[in-house]
Amino acid sequence: MGSHKDNREIIAAFLFIAGLLAALIVPSQADAKTVRVVTRENAVREQCRFFAPVKAKVSYGDALEVLSEEGDWFMVKFEEQEGCIHKSAITEKTLKKKKTSTATAETTTEEEVALAGKGFNPQVEKRYREEHPDAEFANVDYIEGIEVPDEALLEFIESGGLKQPE
Amino acid sequence: MRKSVVLLAVLAAFMASGFTLDLNKVEKVLKTTAAATRTMSDEEEYYLGRAVAAKILSEYDLLENDALTDYVNRVGLTVAIHSDKPYTYDGYHFAVLDTEEINAFACPGGLIFITSSMVDALANEEELAAVLAHEVAHVAHRDGVASIKKSRWLEVVGIIGTEAAREFGSQDVSSLATLLEGSVNDVFKTLVTKGYGREQEYRADTTALTILEGAGYTPRALADFLTTLEAKKKTRGGLLKTHPSSKSRLKNVEENMPEADADESLIAKRAERFNASFEEEEE
Repeated sequence: MGSHKDNREIIAAFLFIAGLLAALIVPSQADAKTVRVVTRENAVREQCRFFAPVKAKVSYGDALEVLSEEGDWFMVKFEEQEGCIHKSAITEKTLKKKKTSTATAETTTEEEVALAGKGFNPQVEKRYREEHPDAEFANVDYIEGIEVPDEALLEFIESGGLKQPE
Repeated sequence: MRKSVVLLAVLAAFMASGFTLDLNKVEKVLKTTAAATRTMSDEEEYYLGRAVAAKILSEYDLLENDALTDYVNRVGLTVAIHSDKPYTYDGYHFAVLDTEEINAFACPGGLIFITSSMVDALANEEELAAVLAHEVAHVAHRDGVASIKKSRWLEVVGIIGTEAAREFGSQDVSSLATLLEGSVNDVFKTLVTKGYGREQEYRADTTALTILEGAGYTPRALADFLTTLEAKKKTRGGLLKTHPSSKSRLKNVEENMPEADADESLIAKRAERFNASFEEEEE
């Protein structure tokens, strides 16, 4: 009987401390949200629209500090450059900088696993290719190498009387 | 947040009632639960898509026509930026397969194929945009990834665990390569043999209408093409084999058709460059 009472007291103390810590830490996490780039390459642009001039080039995994959100775009800061990046090029679920009175260290959330742990990756593709020499990866590489520069695509859209995304 | 509260409450209830808990077991259960809900990342989808494309290209020849391929890429990219997922890990890439089969395939990650016979069956740029918008919608909806058996993906997650990135051992790589092969076969079977589910096709058509309207193409082009397809019913294999009947798709498309004004002069102007891409092909 006595051990039951002891357990209840420990639980009460545990819940109190957990609640106190949550109250201290959770609100400050929202102060500086950091997102990560999930595309091989992308760009931070001057305005929140496609084809806007590029202010900074970013790569997979780069951390961007979120300043604000504007429709499908995020206003972000990267290496002292502020600009816009489309929401489909980033993940909001990776790292959050904790700004507490005692620490500024970055912590890893569960969602970072989705970014970091890679089930299908170059290492696995290499093994797959060894086992499937008939798979036409050379042609895949060729297709991926076909590029339409931004300027050419914009000219194509405009000359055809088509629209840019709003 | 709600899950955390429930977990805390369950934990408190267990301890208050006098049960002892093995925290290692609790941690293991929580990690397994987290792993089971872990979705495929954009980068993983990219490597899966490359392998699916490589398999498709081992079955079909690539049409070697730079001018037509470039034109198809321009139309495809124009519709892609109007989708819900304009950016994928390595972007969208479009290519033409040299075959008499009328079909189009969207590999996970954004590698999209259209067959030369499909291109031949199209009337103008509007219809090409309609077909490519439908395929882009499949990519944006991650329909290819959804065709992988759930048990297979759980095995992948089981191998990589819930820890951060690490170098895999030889045995892990071998197991993952086998699981990649199985996943490729799942997607390939869906794309080339079995087709997506009816609901996935209807949803891709409905999204395509929105994309076309946003891009400035006439959404009616999708209905026009499905009408053409219905007339080609006798064609064996290809798209007619892997998609629901054109008649039922047409009904769904008509029901969701946006009210958009079509500028006939612009449609004609775009049709000119569509025809020009063919002329270059024939030279």
